[in-house]
Amino acid sequence: MHPFSYTRVSDTREALAAGSRGARYIAGGTTLVDLMRETVERPETLVDISGLPLREVTATERGGLRIGALVTMSQAAADRKVRTLYPVVSEALELSASAQLRNMATIGGNIMQRTRCTYFRDVTAACNKREPGSGCAAREGFNRMHAILGTSDSCVATHPSDVAVAFAALEATVHLLGPDGERTVPFADFLLRPGNTPDREQALRQGVLITAVEIPALPRPLRSGYLKVRDRQSYEFALTSAAVALHVRGGVIREAKVAAGGVGTVPWKLPAVEQHLIGERPSEALWAAAAAKAADGARSLQHNRFKPQLLNRTVERQLRIVGENA
Amino acid sequence: MSPQPQAAVGAPLSRVDGRLKVTGKALYAAEHDVDGAVHAVIVDASIGRGRITSIDTRDALAHPGVLRVIHHRNAPKLPYRDNAGSNNPAGRRLRVFQDDRVLFHGQPVAVVVAETLEAAQHGASIVKVGYDAERPSTDMAQARAGEPTDYSRGDTEAGLRSAAVRLDLTYHLARNHHNPMEPHATIARWNGNRLTVWDKTQWVMGTRDELAAVFNLPADSVRVISPFVGGGFGSGLRCWPHVPIAALAARETGRPVKLVLSRKQMHFGVGFRPSYEYRLRLGADRRGRLVAMDHEMNHETSSYETFVEGILDPGRMLYSTPNVRQAYRTVPLDVSTPIWMRGPGPATASYVIESALDELANELGIDPIELRRRNEPAEDESSGLPWSTRRLRECYTVGAREFGWDRRPTRPRSRREGDWLIGMGMAAGVYHTARMPAQARVRLDADGTAVVETATSDMGPGTYTSHTQVAADALGLTMRAVTFRLGDSLYPQTGPHGGSMTMASVGSAVLDGCNRVRRQAIELAVEDEESPLYGVAAEDVVVRSGRLHVRNNTARGETYQRLLTRNNRSRLEADGSYAGPSSPERHSFHAYNATFAEVAVDATLGLVRVRRVLGVYDAGRIISPKLADSQAIGGMVGGIGQALLEHTVTDHRDGRIANASLADYLVPVNADVADLRAIYLEGEDMEADPLGVKGLGEVVMVGVAPAIANAVFNATGRRVRDLPITAEALL
Repeated sequence: MHPFSYTRVSDTREALAAGSRGARYIAGGTTLVDLMRETVERPETLVDISGLPLREVTATERGGLRIGALVTMSQAAADRKVRTLYPVVSEALELSASAQLRNMATIGGNIMQRTRCTYFRDVTAACNKREPGSGCAAREGFNRMHAILGTSDSCVATHPSDVAVAFAALEATVHLLGPDGERTVPFADFLLRPGNTPDREQALRQGVLITAVEIPALPRPLRSGYLKVRDRQSYEFALTSAAVALHVRGGVIREAKVAAGGVGTVPWKLPAVEQHLIGERPSEALWAAAAAKAADGARSLQHNRFKPQLLNRTVERQLRIVGENA
Repeated sequence: MSPQPQAAVGAPLSRVDGRLKVTGKALYAAEHDVDGAVHAVIVDASIGRGRITSIDTRDALAHPGVLRVIHHRNAPKLPYRDNAGSNNPAGRRLRVFQDDRVLFHGQPVAVVVAETLEAAQHGASIVKVGYDAERPSTDMAQARAGEPTDYSRGDTEAGLRSAAVRLDLTYHLARNHHNPMEPHATIARWNGNRLTVWDKTQWVMGTRDELAAVFNLPADSVRVISPFVGGGFGSGLRCWPHVPIAALAARETGRPVKLVLSRKQMHFGVGFRPSYEYRLRLGADRRGRLVAMDHEMNHETSSYETFVEGILDPGRMLYSTPNVRQAYRTVPLDVSTPIWMRGPGPATASYVIESALDELANELGIDPIELRRRNEPAEDESSGLPWSTRRLRECYTVGAREFGWDRRPTRPRSRREGDWLIGMGMAAGVYHTARMPAQARVRLDADGTAVVETATSDMGPGTYTSHTQVAADALGLTMRAVTFRLGDSLYPQTGPHGGSMTMASVGSAVLDGCNRVRRQAIELAVEDEESPLYGVAAEDVVVRSGRLHVRNNTARGETYQRLLTRNNRSRLEADGSYAGPSSPERHSFHAYNATFAEVAVDATLGLVRVRRVLGVYDAGRIISPKLADSQAIGGMVGGIGQALLEHTVTDHRDGRIANASLADYLVPVNADVADLRAIYLEGEDMEADPLGVKGLGEVVMVGVAPAIANAVFNATGRRVRDLPITAEALL
């Protein structure tokens, strides 16, 4: 671990001041400290923001939910409003990491977490994300867990978050606070595809704070859920996952929100699947036909050739699970 | 002497060291508080083969707290005496910092010693090493195998030609890492020319001898201490390079040095179960009787040492087969040297043989258990020796009944519950009953308590507890009155703590020592005119809860305490020993199991869930049933890992281990482990050793993976011949 200085702040003004001087924010630390130990991350200054008043889950006036950036994963998963309105969010959270990690990690940190690509995490390997221009060891290396969507020649690393897949599906927005004031960014624009700059992962300038993630109001009744396909039954990242929310009225699907995880360089929204569903009546055939579009444009690698097929089946399964009860 | 009443042996007792462990008072290797200890962190080679061309240590040395950076350019020449012991395989062992050669990715190329762990870690991360890198050879499929070890009986080719049914099957097994919970760690301290080492090891004597050889010291100048080991599974069976590195660093800095391997370093520093390519050609008649088996086994080893394991046994003796041929080859690669891992050899061979038998059973439409019964041998056909005990048929019977084998779908892919396909599988398991000479020292004090000392280890099976049980019964004391000490090379010698040898070997030495002490006490009493036992035949005296008495007359007797005090004896002492098996052996000794598994496989997503595992064991006497259950359940969990998850991935471009962390090298978690049950056939094997035990720790891992693989076939109709079985193989 490289030497660093560490301070705590108790209000956002102090945090922003430290941020503007180049400090990195730390909350639960479950990703950052790990990566510092591996010397992948080498911050000079850490400013601990866990004392900031961003720990509330609140209902918005328009019927959505605003989850404070410092709400822990376990707190968000247990929140009654979250569980009632957006089971897909609580399920995604509960299928993530371990109980210990969920007690530490925050929602803001979760969407900021960095890839599990083993070459990224090994400082002796080539990695454009960690060291721009050094190459990508994963493309021709061991890439079973890697992305098939949104990849580039520079990077094929998967975004590891589960709850971010639910946020992407629900078209959440990220609330930011910077020296110039507050603004919101659609979730789809917040996490960046690698392109030629895989080291740039979020639309977030130095010193800007995430204050909350807001989930918009959706028509009710809304059925939703998250399916995670993984090698072992707990404490493991997704091979594939699907977040699905459906609003059915009068026997017809009026609203469909679908995204996939474990397959994209960012949480992968599936508009083609959504379009296929809207206006249709739920049926086994519909789930299959819609899910068949999930892997459109996928480019698999040597060790993850199974992922497009598995993705289609994962989405199909989760459409059925949610749709059966919708 | 009269047989002692059995009170502790066979009772389901909790661990005697359990309280120490759960309260954090059991000290593991890195936790010993050695005054003035400084910290060492190894710098790992970042190439898979080649030479070191430069080492720049300026930044590291300038970092506050860093004391020294040791590498091949400044390290003293180390004697490295030959040492054929210490579980060193044939070859030339890795000599730390003695030249510029890099033999595998992750090889130690330097060590940074600093006042604090943080300074040492940071120092190690900023040592700049230049290399002249070559492309390593790490892919077994691309490399040349060595000369085979051959075995043959009958005429295998002719047998295969004549067989009504022939199968030609090739299986691949992934490399597995032990990944015990406790990292390997060493604290080394010199006192003049005497070296004391606190180490995580399964064999203090082996580590002592290797350190003596590396530094050219008399063996008695080295003391190795290892009272607690947080899991091993075989990784502690050798003195790996980090141990002499710690000792070297301590000598060079003049300070005690603590060195703890990182989880990543555990993936190239302390051995592994080698990956295998295993081809089995099998011929049988229409009734399923085996005619011939031809085994071709290739596994990886390092370029500098030839690691071998006892994989040949099951293919020769498990089933009656007139014609058998085996060719066993190692493939030298630019990797670190493998080591035995739980169930070494049979855990691999049984996966192949038991899977193949399942294929044969399916081909012939015979029940898998019935097929095995038809091939039950009358004797060990490889040696012509009779079995000491072999109760595999009872294992089948009990297992089938308790598991509900009659509910197995006879047709594959015929039972479905929603999205899940349900299947059952079974396999037989075998592990040879090995024994080694062992010594123990027993002391009975005048206060009626006893101390037993041996140099063995307790990596988790409960050596402390089971050996206390043996000693308590043999001395006629309560468990509380016996203190059992292990893990110190100053104690009487034992062999390595592995291969399921400890209970049979060390336990027998403990039994012998305790019997001798009890005899001394009885003889003292029956010859002592003041003893109530005066004049009683020694054979008629037993001891219970510290009191000697006439076997059929409990009223007539006295306590050890009284006897010794009256006779002015502060203690009675004896050295116990076990000489090892007779040579040549007069029987064939093995422990057996029948293992059953039920799985659910997601029909479209390919996920395998193990619902139940049952193991039925013919392992001789069970000394400590509660610990035996822990062993058996642990073995089943290991088998679930081997079957479905565990896979060390090497990047063949540079020899890097691509998943050297517990986030990426998957072992089962609690959610993967459902209903596991162990049943032991009651009995003993008095031909095997004085305790009648056949060993349990290894055989419980054998047979689990094939039972699961066979259940997957039964569920899906898909035969996967590679381990681990992952979702993509079942899509």
